[in-house]
Amino acid sequence: MLLEVRDLVIDYRATRGRVRAVDGVSFDVPAGAVVGVVGESGCGKTTAVRAITRVMASSAVFAGGSILLEGKDLITLSDREMQKHLWRDIAYVPQSAMNALDPVWRVGKQIEEVLVSRGKMDRSAAQTRAEELFAMVGLEAKRLRDYPHQFSGGMRQRASIALALALSPKLVIADEPVTALDVVIQRQVLDTFTDLQKRLNLSVILVTHDISVIAYVCDYVVVMYAGKVVESGPVAAVLDSPAHPYTMGLYNAFPELAGEERELSPIEGSPPDLLDSPKGCRFRARCPFAIDICTQDAPEHIIGEGHVAYCHRASEAHELRSAAKLTDTWIGVTSE
Amino acid sequence: MTQPLISVEGLTKRFDISRSMTDILTGKRPQLQAVTDVSFTLEQGQTLGIVGESGCGKTTLGRMLIKLIPASEGTILFDGEDISGMDRTAELAFRRRAQLVFQNPFDALNPHFTILDSLREPLHNARVPLEEHTMRIAEAMRMVHLPAPEHFLQSFPHQLSGGQLQRVVLARALVLRPDFIVADEPVSMLDVSVRAGILNVLREVRDRMGLAAVFISHDLALVRYVCDRTITMYLGAVVEDSPTTELVERPLHPYTKALVQAVPIPHVDQSHEPLPIIGGLPDSQNPPSGCRFRDRCPMAETRCALEVPLLQDVGGGRRVACHLV
Repeated sequence: MLLEVRDLVIDYRATRGRVRAVDGVSFDVPAGAVVGVVGESGCGKTTAVRAITRVMASSAVFAGGSILLEGKDLITLSDREMQKHLWRDIAYVPQSAMNALDPVWRVGKQIEEVLVSRGKMDRSAAQTRAEELFAMVGLEAKRLRDYPHQFSGGMRQRASIALALALSPKLVIADEPVTALDVVIQRQVLDTFTDLQKRLNLSVILVTHDISVIAYVCDYVVVMYAGKVVESGPVAAVLDSPAHPYTMGLYNAFPELAGEERELSPIEGSPPDLLDSPKGCRFRARCPFAIDICTQDAPEHIIGEGHVAYCHRASEAHELRSAAKLTDTWIGVTSE
Repeated sequence: MTQPLISVEGLTKRFDISRSMTDILTGKRPQLQAVTDVSFTLEQGQTLGIVGESGCGKTTLGRMLIKLIPASEGTILFDGEDISGMDRTAELAFRRRAQLVFQNPFDALNPHFTILDSLREPLHNARVPLEEHTMRIAEAMRMVHLPAPEHFLQSFPHQLSGGQLQRVVLARALVLRPDFIVADEPVSMLDVSVRAGILNVLREVRDRMGLAAVFISHDLALVRYVCDRTITMYLGAVVEDSPTTELVERPLHPYTKALVQAVPIPHVDQSHEPLPIIGGLPDSQNPPSGCRFRDRCPMAETRCALEVPLLQDVGGGRRVACHLV
């Protein structure tokens, strides 16, 4: 296993107390696999994966758990030791490439800078490598002399992928890498990215709110809700036979382009306030299948090979899935 | 046949863009043509989708329809009347009958206004008698499925979730009982789990109030769910206009085909075929000669560089601008 995240807990210090943004999150990233982390805004997906790079907001604190990279716990490392792993072992592709690239520097210079300062290359070797990286992501070498504002959105995202790959990391963490792009460009960038992933045998964590993107590129998926993992497993298993009502609900809330036209049903209500998160299953208030026992923490339920769900009623998943397909099931659920 | 509610003819919009020193010295006024010769009609009760990539002119078109910006050429007839030449009374009536739903609900409401203030403002501007306000607001809130108790109406935008805010934005557009609304990417800022709620409300108001709507989105899956008819735009021009089901299931224009293929679906079983389209949008200041899509088109021929393809009726209520269809 390349990366094992175990019972990770991260708090944000706030004026009114501590907000537990990530509460006991565990998942694995096998070498050469693409793992998707999916959830709504505020579910803690970005906080959880950013913790792996330790590039976090100043108010964020580790409050428990471990992040094992090839068996070595990254949380126990000093900032200085952690620096050695960044770029070389772990690289980050942010959502907005405009934030990753410095507007006053030529793009090529920025890539060379990483290669020289982190990779200990000399200038001419760095230049050759930068050209090679640009070719890999489908950009012309002459564009290395451009500034970020001269790039289109898709090109900028390609450039920030090139930057992330500069020192051949083992693990690339991409946070909503295509969300800001138009569908056509989004598809082209995703295709380039998956092609590189296969060719270089990269391990990837892809954060997104879009289950279609997960279905298109990922091998495994981790579904998060209100700071916790609610379901995880191989993409085919989780998407074809979801075992947690939240995953089922996400599916129904999503219009598709292919297949029969169906009624959509929103998941009513909104996620709980994490400053004062309720005991028991956090999805309870929005769940059409909630029963009394749901006020207690949901146990781990093994559904199949590598497929787990945290739901008291996971053993009835088959019946719940049929019920979840009906629009009426989701109407008037919230007690608020 | 009844007269369409809206009929648009030869609509074109040019924007002045910043002038370089040379432009100023030589007296040039560089312009960008954002929308080129768009014509269509929209009937009462119909929802028209406008899809295309960013920069294709869909938002500019929406803004012209609602008279937020004037057209450079062409006419928009609303109920038979040209919206550019209205007197004050006619303009006031138009403003009441045509409403815009904004993209970003977090920006669309005044943070210092309570929800009630925000809903009252349009009524006030449209000179709706004061005694009707409470009833009208309750009616609009019911339409968007929001609770209307006093404490909710007295809350401020920051106290509501994104989904609730977008419903308020919708209610604000509906409170004047409009005949026509333009919704510009109304769900793109919202989480997936609450999007469906807004889309369902849009479908309900269309069915119940029989209003005409223009739904602008870059997401064909959303458009399919809400719209009866859809227009595909590319670099400011309409390339295809079809009933939505036809457009999604049997797209005719090569650009629409690529758009349909580019949308991923939430199933593992799906095509990973490379798109039959290359590169990004060309420079909109110097669009290619002839067909604007030709430099990205897998089927382009010599003819495509020479002649501009016209939007032609191909039967079945469909219009396509392509030499090869």
